Amino acid sequence: MIRHYKKFLAIMFFSLGLNAQVKLTVNTIPKKVNVKLDGVILGESPIINERISPGIHKFEIIKKGFAPLNYELVVNPAQAVHLDFFMNPIYSVKFKTEETGLVFEINDEHQWSEDFIRLNLEAGDHSLRVFKLGEIIDEQIIHVDEPKKFIYYLKKPISEE
Amino acid sequence: MLKRSFNRLFLVGEILALLGIMTGCTMIKGPLYPDTIYNNRQPLISVTYEYGEIEVRLPLNYIGAIPDNIMFEVYAQGDTINPIISILQEAPRVFLVYLPQGVLDIHEKANLIRIIPQDSNFQPVDVRFQGIRFGQIQLPPKSIGMKQLIVSGKVFLNKNGNTLAGVDVSFQNFDNVIKEIRTNESGNFQLAIPGEYRYAKHLRLVSGNNLIFKSFKKMMDFSESFRQIVNIGVGPSSTMEEPLYVTNRDNVHFRKHPDIGSETLFLLERGEAISVKRVTPGEYQGSIEVSLGHDKNVNLDGWIYRSDVILLDVNNIFKNEPTNDSTL
Repeated sequence: MIRHYKKFLAIMFFSLGLNAQVKLTVNTIPKKVNVKLDGVILGESPIINERISPGIHKFEIIKKGFAPLNYELVVNPAQAVHLDFFMNPIYSVKFKTEETGLVFEINDEHQWSEDFIRLNLEAGDHSLRVFKLGEIIDEQIIHVDEPKKFIYYLKKPISEE
Repeated sequence: MLKRSFNRLFLVGEILALLGIMTGCTMIKGPLYPDTIYNNRQPLISVTYEYGEIEVRLPLNYIGAIPDNIMFEVYAQGDTINPIISILQEAPRVFLVYLPQGVLDIHEKANLIRIIPQDSNFQPVDVRFQGIRFGQIQLPPKSIGMKQLIVSGKVFLNKNGNTLAGVDVSFQNFDNVIKEIRTNESGNFQLAIPGEYRYAKHLRLVSGNNLIFKSFKKMMDFSESFRQIVNIGVGPSSTMEEPLYVTNRDNVHFRKHPDIGSETLFLLERGEAISVKRVTPGEYQGSIEVSLGHDKNVNLDGWIYRSDVILLDVNNIFKNEPTNDSTL
């Protein structure tokens, strides 16, 4: 049994040696992010001196407070590949309006009718659409780059408090 | 009893107050939208590849002469038409080339370095090798030499035209034997020597050292060609009549008349054939064959001591091989 186990280990290391040819380095901003490669946790970033075989691989980068990142990469047969992932933060945003009877929609998907609501928004631009009695009455782009409070006035550019 | 009711009322009041505070806070903070809202922005990702180099080192040995310049052509993946790199440089001791990663076949010896000396006296040389992904390849040393000088032909007996097996054939420069072989069973030979002898002034082809006849000697000139065919005839020609004798030592006097003090026409070397016509108790009178060059011979008559010749047996024309046995 032990002999078979050793044989299995030898074959495994041999095949790993054949396939894992490319040196892999993964850096993330922020640091200490869980990095998964093909569903297997590699560890927390930064990852250095790992090995990866040439071909298609899937990276998953996950950290609370940041948008999860999935990235598929065809690794070329090179000496080394260095990957830098810049994660997008999620900010807590307050949205308030004094108008009545309005329905708000963000990114064609998320709707609410409350005049005051807290939203967790990924940093960057989001498209805001405003409905009244089922009709679009306003469309705007809101830019999120920090935790902030938006106040909406009908047909006026959205303002920050 | 009243106190207990009052306590209960106080507890309910506390709970309501707490609920009121919580509700108030929620009213102040507002409700939280249940999902995180992503904008599906393209992630900012930087991918940097680091490609290694392949360093190929090929030591070169030059046999004799060194060409001034050499063209090195590197082919990969079995393609022998389109080189991936061509380098013309002065003849180096070590050819060094850097190739990008991934250009070489790493599974088979399908990569090639073609060494082309820029001198017609030298022969191009190919070096096949197996590649690696990146790193250094140290190839075994390769020798670069001038083209070989090759003589081929056959050795035959002038008397009857029969080819002779086992006859010594050699290239000599002055009296130094450069290379020596023996004819094969068919009487054929092929002799090759390094090309640096191409312009040697005293290069000659010698054959028949192991025969009882005098050796065949021919000056060789390779200035026009690297390859020559020489058919070597040994022994007396068919025009010489029987009985035939051969001299048994060097410096045998071949004289005009039999009497003592007669003029010596030639000093014959060992193995010279004489066609004997007359016999006296001490001498033979006969003719020898004298070469005039260009394959022309004339027969000259003269006299020779009987003790200086032996009867020629055409069936036994090889000298006795010296043995290592020694007798006291």
